Amino acid sequence: MEYNILDSVDLTDVSNFKSFTDRYFSKRYILNVGGKENNDIMLMFHSNRITLLSLAPSHFFFKKNCDYKINFNVHNIDRLSNTVKGKGKKGGQMLNPKSVICKIEYDDGANFDVPCGMKGTLIEINEELIKDPQLLKSEPDSTGFIAIILSSIAISDSMKNELLTHEEYLKSLKL
Amino acid sequence: MEIDQNNIFKLCKELGCCDACCLRYLGLKNPSAYENTKDVVTKYAVQETAIKSSDLEDSKDSKTLEDIKKNILEDINIESDINGDSCKSPPSKKRKIEPCVTCLGILQEETWADSFEMVKEVLEKKRYACNTFACALSAPMATILRERVVALHLEKSISHYDANALTPLKEAWKWSFGTKLATHIGKILDSGAVSPLLITLNIDYLDDLQELEALKTIAATLFESRSQQRKRFSTEFTRRVVEQALEDVTLEMIQAASESCCLPQITAPAKCVSVVCTHTPMYLGGRYIKLSRELPQTPWILGGRRVMPSSVQEIIFQPLAEFYGMSAAEAERRLKLVAAGREDVDVRCLGDGRPFAIEITDPQRQLTSEELAQACKVISSGGEVIVKELVPIVKEDLALLKKGEESKTKTYHALCIKLSHSELDEVDPDSPVTVTDADLERINSYRNTKEGDEAKIEITQKTPIRVLHRRPLLTRTRHLIELHAEKVPGHAQLLYVRVRTSAGTYVKEWAHGELRRTRPALPDLLRARTDLLALDVAAVHLHWPNAHFPTQ
Ligand SMILES: [Zn+2]
Repeated sequence: MEYNILDSVDLTDVSNFKSFTDRYFSKRYILNVGGKENNDIMLMFHSNRITLLSLAPSHFFFKKNCDYKINFNVHNIDRLSNTVKGKGKKGGQMLNPKSVICKIEYDDGANFDVPCGMKGTLIEINEELIKDPQLLKSEPDSTGFIAIILSSIAISDSMKNELLTHEEYLKSLKL
Repeated sequence: MEIDQNNIFKLCKELGCCDACCLRYLGLKNPSAYENTKDVVTKYAVQETAIKSSDLEDSKDSKTLEDIKKNILEDINIESDINGDSCKSPPSKKRKIEPCVTCLGILQEETWADSFEMVKEVLEKKRYACNTFACALSAPMATILRERVVALHLEKSISHYDANALTPLKEAWKWSFGTKLATHIGKILDSGAVSPLLITLNIDYLDDLQELEALKTIAATLFESRSQQRKRFSTEFTRRVVEQALEDVTLEMIQAASESCCLPQITAPAKCVSVVCTHTPMYLGGRYIKLSRELPQTPWILGGRRVMPSSVQEIIFQPLAEFYGMSAAEAERRLKLVAAGREDVDVRCLGDGRPFAIEITDPQRQLTSEELAQACKVISSGGEVIVKELVPIVKEDLALLKKGEESKTKTYHALCIKLSHSELDEVDPDSPVTVTDADLERINSYRNTKEGDEAKIEITQKTPIRVLHRRPLLTRTRHLIELHAEKVPGHAQLLYVRVRTSAGTYVKEWAHGELRRTRPALPDLLRARTDLLALDVAAVHLHWPNAHFPTQ
């Protein structure tokens, strides 16, 4: 082969290979949402105004061992019926920081809301969570993400500036 | 019913038409008649004189009349011969001409000298190799109005006169001016449908808009409604509106609107103010190989700043711009790259390369095969892009490139990494992840289409997140026609994947699954996390720049 693909890349650091989300997204955290301890969410910002909503690893959800369902029909809004049209994503549900995206309902009767934490338009709910709710627990920062949100450059930039970075988040956990 | 042609000629002359315009009103459509109008008009002028003579001397017999006619004809022929000889510096040039009431001088030879000079000047600067040309006229709008007024006079005075037979000014101008221009610039006059070189003369007339003012009285309602919609109509007069205003006009209406009956004294003949020469675009076809993972196809500029220092486009344009003597800014305007799709900045394009074409706007000439070979050499010398051949193509060939974009398949070579153990394998979770024979089997034997289908695998892909902000969210069905994986010697975690896809498949997203937004993707086949380290386009399956290439 004339131009070997192996020679065209730096393979010295393959052992430290960054995941898809780590490569393309900046992680930010909001802790104790709604005054609820460890109600922690993680927002992953792509450079293009797209944001992924996930639960932060410190969320109390990860400590509780109980079967659960994810209910996307909350406060009379069905998040699964969200549709967006065209380049402008017309018709997507409008979100503000307090908008609830889904409710986690435990078999023991307890439940909690997952707010989206930012202003934007709902683009997509991760439908894989419906088929496989376990992903929320096993892959929270990749295939277990909850939703895709589109905001403006201004909002996206200011959120990135204001919220806790990954390093600040790790520090705050040690306190 | 015979129409009195002599009378038409006489009336035109009385109104102040030039010889050529007289022929236009007579409806003459043979181009040669306009090449030497002076000779042609004698026919009508002479008969007129002859008729007059016969009126005066009706006592004389017909033989004498014939003699008189013959004598006059001979006289005129001698006169025109003299004119013919002194053609290089016609005495008329010195004389101040009487501008034609209809064409404002556009068809009068005496006004042409400056126009010839202006055309020559532009051509000397642009130096087109093309030995034919077509010419176009942008005439003052007042000629439309004036032409109509003369026609109305003819309709009124001459029974059965048909104004529709009028030869258009543009045609008469091409036949008269165009033919003479040909001798001045040493090119052959041809039609615009044939010659790629178009010479346009913009002719202005000082009193143009002022003379059109009368139309506001003649077609008051039309102009009122236009002024009310000022936002839509930024200019008061356009050729279309002038024609519209004159649709149902009568001589009486014109007389009522204008003291001079819309044929005011001409203070200065219409004048050529600018000449524009353009050559239809030329096209080159080729294929480019891109060897860099830091090179976009087109300049990548974000917020006015360059993200990457160069691009495939700029590297290909550089030698071509030089051959055509274009500055960098000019090249950006006059050269256009049309490629059969594009690869990402970090993706190489190998094999026979990606088909592309270049459109050259207003080219002076076609580059020679030696120059094209030299251009390829220059392009390839930088080591980032290789173009082996550039060939002249025609515009119709571009359709193949565009069609190819929708229908062509592409073969990719992907260097992938396995990041976790397969869920299908029972292995010590702490053992190192390696690509196993079972993994290769899972990939190479996978099929989710019917046996016999052209494609082995059908996948669905949601619009990738990296382009989701500017493209609609859609789930598309795509196909993998071939898929083959191999181990990479010396790199236990890596695998080398060859995949042939249908047009529009996002291969990067297929390699890591993009959070399961592409399915079934490589991680689904292995039931393990996988990702992409490097991607090359190995082949763009499209015969280009001709049907015999590439031979495969
Ligand atoms: Zn005329």
